[in-house]
Parts: sequence; C-alpha cells; structure tokens
Amino acid sequence: MIYDTAIIGGGIMGCGSALRLAQGGQRVIVLDQGDLGQGASGVNAGTLSLQIKRVKLMPYALKGHACWEAMGKAVGFAKTGGYTLAFNAREAALLQERQTLKAQAGAPIEFVSNNQLRNGEPNLTQQVVSASYCAEDGYANASLTGQYYLGKLRDAGIEYRERCEVTAIERDKNFKLTTPQGTINATRILLAAGAWLKPLAALMDVHLPVQARVNTVTVTERMPPLMSTVIGHATGLLTMKQKANGTLLIGGGWQGLGTPQEGRGRVSVDTVRPNLALAQYAVPALGTARILRSWTGFEANVPDFYPLAGVLPGVEGAYVLGCVRGGYTIGPYISQLMGDYILGREPELPLFDPGRDFKEGTI
Amino acid sequence: MIRLVPNHALKIVRSAPVVFTFDGQSVEGHAGENLAGALLRAGRLHLRNAPANGGPRGAFCCMGLCQECTVRIDGQVVEACRTEVTQGLAVERAG
Repeated sequence: MIYDTAIIGGGIMGCGSALRLAQGGQRVIVLDQGDLGQGASGVNAGTLSLQIKRVKLMPYALKGHACWEAMGKAVGFAKTGGYTLAFNAREAALLQERQTLKAQAGAPIEFVSNNQLRNGEPNLTQQVVSASYCAEDGYANASLTGQYYLGKLRDAGIEYRERCEVTAIERDKNFKLTTPQGTINATRILLAAGAWLKPLAALMDVHLPVQARVNTVTVTERMPPLMSTVIGHATGLLTMKQKANGTLLIGGGWQGLGTPQEGRGRVSVDTVRPNLALAQYAVPALGTARILRSWTGFEANVPDFYPLAGVLPGVEGAYVLGCVRGGYTIGPYISQLMGDYILGREPELPLFDPGRDFKEGTI
Repeated sequence: MIRLVPNHALKIVRSAPVVFTFDGQSVEGHAGENLAGALLRAGRLHLRNAPANGGPRGAFCCMGLCQECTVRIDGQVVEACRTEVTQGLAVERAG
C-alpha cells in the first residue's frame, strides 16, 4: 500500500489539506501523534477577528472567515461583530494606524463613536478613548474542531491514525514513515504538525526556524450577560467573548511556560494575572467573576511571522504547511490552497515559500 | 423498593456530629463531610440562583466543575462540593 500523500499532523491544516487532496482523487492518510484537532486547533480561544489579522494575510483571513461561516453550527460558529478598544491616546494612535491599514486591505473595519459603543456594549468601562468595530468578527468553539474534522475525514473515506507519532522518515523511491503502528509508505508527504514542525523536518535533516509561542486562555464561571460581541484591545493583548452558557473566554497571547518537546505547556500566574487585569479593566463587572481554568496551546511561527506553505526545501515530494499567524481563522482556507498546490493546480492565492530568506520584509 | 445488596448503613462510622448554618438556619452534619452532601441530606437543594435568569440551582456534577453548588463562606464564593463541613461554619447563598 502506497499512499499518494501522507499527512503528518491532524489539526486544521492537515485535515483541511487531506480533504482537498481526497476531493482531487488522491489516496491520503492523516497521522497524528495525539488525537485529531487536539493541539493548537483545539485549545485556542476560537476568536475569528479580522481586526487582529496581519495586513498581508487579510485576503486569506477573509476567505477563512467564509469557510468558518459555512462550517456553521458544527464548529460553534457565531458572527457577533467585534470591538477593539483603546484606553489612552497612545493606544488610540496605534489602533488608528493598524485598523486603517487593515480596512484598506479589505476588512470591513470602521471606527465607532462613544455612543455607538455604549449602545453596543453597555458593560464596557467608561475609559475607552477610541474603538473600532468589525461586523464580520465572531468566534467558533475550538474544542469542536477535532470532532468536526474527524467526521469530515470519515465522510470522505480518508484514513487517519491517532497516537501515531512519526519517529523516522526515509526517502528512496517513496517516503517510508516509521510509526508505532507500522511503516507508512507514501509518494509525497505533507508536514502539518504546527509547533512540532521543527523536530519533524529535522528527521530529514532540514532546518526550519520554527519557534513556539505558549499562548494562554482562561475561562470564567458562568456570568450574567456582560457582552454580546468579541472584545479586543488595540495592543492585541486581550481577546474576550461570552459564550451562550455565560462563561467568558479570555485570551490575548499571554505566554505560559514549557516547550512542545516537553509535551503540554504550563500556565504562568505572572502572565495570567495581567491578562485578567486588562479584561477586568475593559469590563469592570468581571471583578466578581471566578476563574474556572487556564490552559495553554502552542502557536508556531517563523522569524518573519508569515506562513510556511509550499515545498520543504531540498526534499522532493515533501511539503510543509504551518506557522500561519491567525492560523485558526485562516487554516480551513490555506489548507485548500495547499491541497490544490500538491494536486498540481494553481492555488487561488499565492502560497508562502518555506525556503525563503526569513529576514523581515522579504514577503 | 427491593434491596439487592445488604443494608450497610448502620455500619457506617460517622465522624463527630457538628452543626453549621445555611442562610442562618441550623443544619446538622458530620465534621469533615462534604458540604454539598450535608446540605443535600438536610433537604437543602437550592444552593444558588443561575447568573443569567435567576433560576434555582444546586449540586449537579459534585466534582468541582459545574459551579452550580457555589455558596458564600467568609465572603468567598466556594464550591460546596469541595468544602468540608466544620462546627459553626456559616454558609450563605452566593447569589
């Protein structure tokens, strides 16, 4: 049995690519060291906000939003709109600069008056100096990602193996992947292992300059209705939303401890505290909220913070997809592009050469 | 009801009986027993009101997750199912 493509990593990137390749007629298999969709795809805060996407990735984020909307209820999608807040003149200037560029890139972002903001979100602090709004923003429930893609793979008849870590990769005529569940043979491979891309590429003596951020998310107990949209901060250090059951999810990229190689990361009280302080500053009624849990997830990136999406440098037949800033939002879309590329079709939008020079500004 | 296993209730060794209060009313319990359990046995099922619509709520998961049994003790909101009964403990509805 020789698969057309073996995909290593069963998150949004890997599963999304698998679906596209199978649609294109390929026989594919998805391998994950854990369970499908339980890494970054499953533990992030689920924010789908165009206001926090990189300008050059905006066309991808807009398409990604459309993908999530189409997935709908099965992934807990909700288009609530979202506000991004500035609490002082410096933050207001930052917000103005950033959102103007993002609006020019196609995101429907507008600046709103204090009255509009008060009407939209009456429980916000009075200390807001300026705020932007994007009607497209919202969230999905990241904990449903794995379940969703598992169902999709099954529907499409795509093979997958969980708890199936690839420990060696040999290349002669085909790729031979060593796993605890036997050897997998494939004509091509796609590395889609997120924060674990670096050790994976190293199995083929390829150096990918991938680093992992350890992002923290916190959930509160159920609260009375406090907000109906996704709330962010000009610095990007806060994202907050209230789910239908009343709990609030609070994120903002505050760093926990640990490395992907050590397994799951750990929460740091030194970063959770200022994260929650910022949340409470934005919505004072959060002062009485009790925290149920905080957790971490690994977000991979390379030095220029643009995606790796293309041929693995120096290894014919090997591809890599990952390190997408805003990968939860963009993943369902860029994985389709990756699938098209492997199928020999021209992707609708350009990919990101993993062999590029990573010095700032090459993209 | 038909009992399928022997009744061992009388063989249970209870710790010292204590009295605590729930919203000012005396409740009997045993030192170190689970507060949610003691309240349940005393017939006090309504421990808090739901934050969204004010409806009555009580111990549900009994393992510290669901937050439906939260009560106020010494000004702190705590999970009754993760709190031990002590003599004179003053327990109030959290809200």
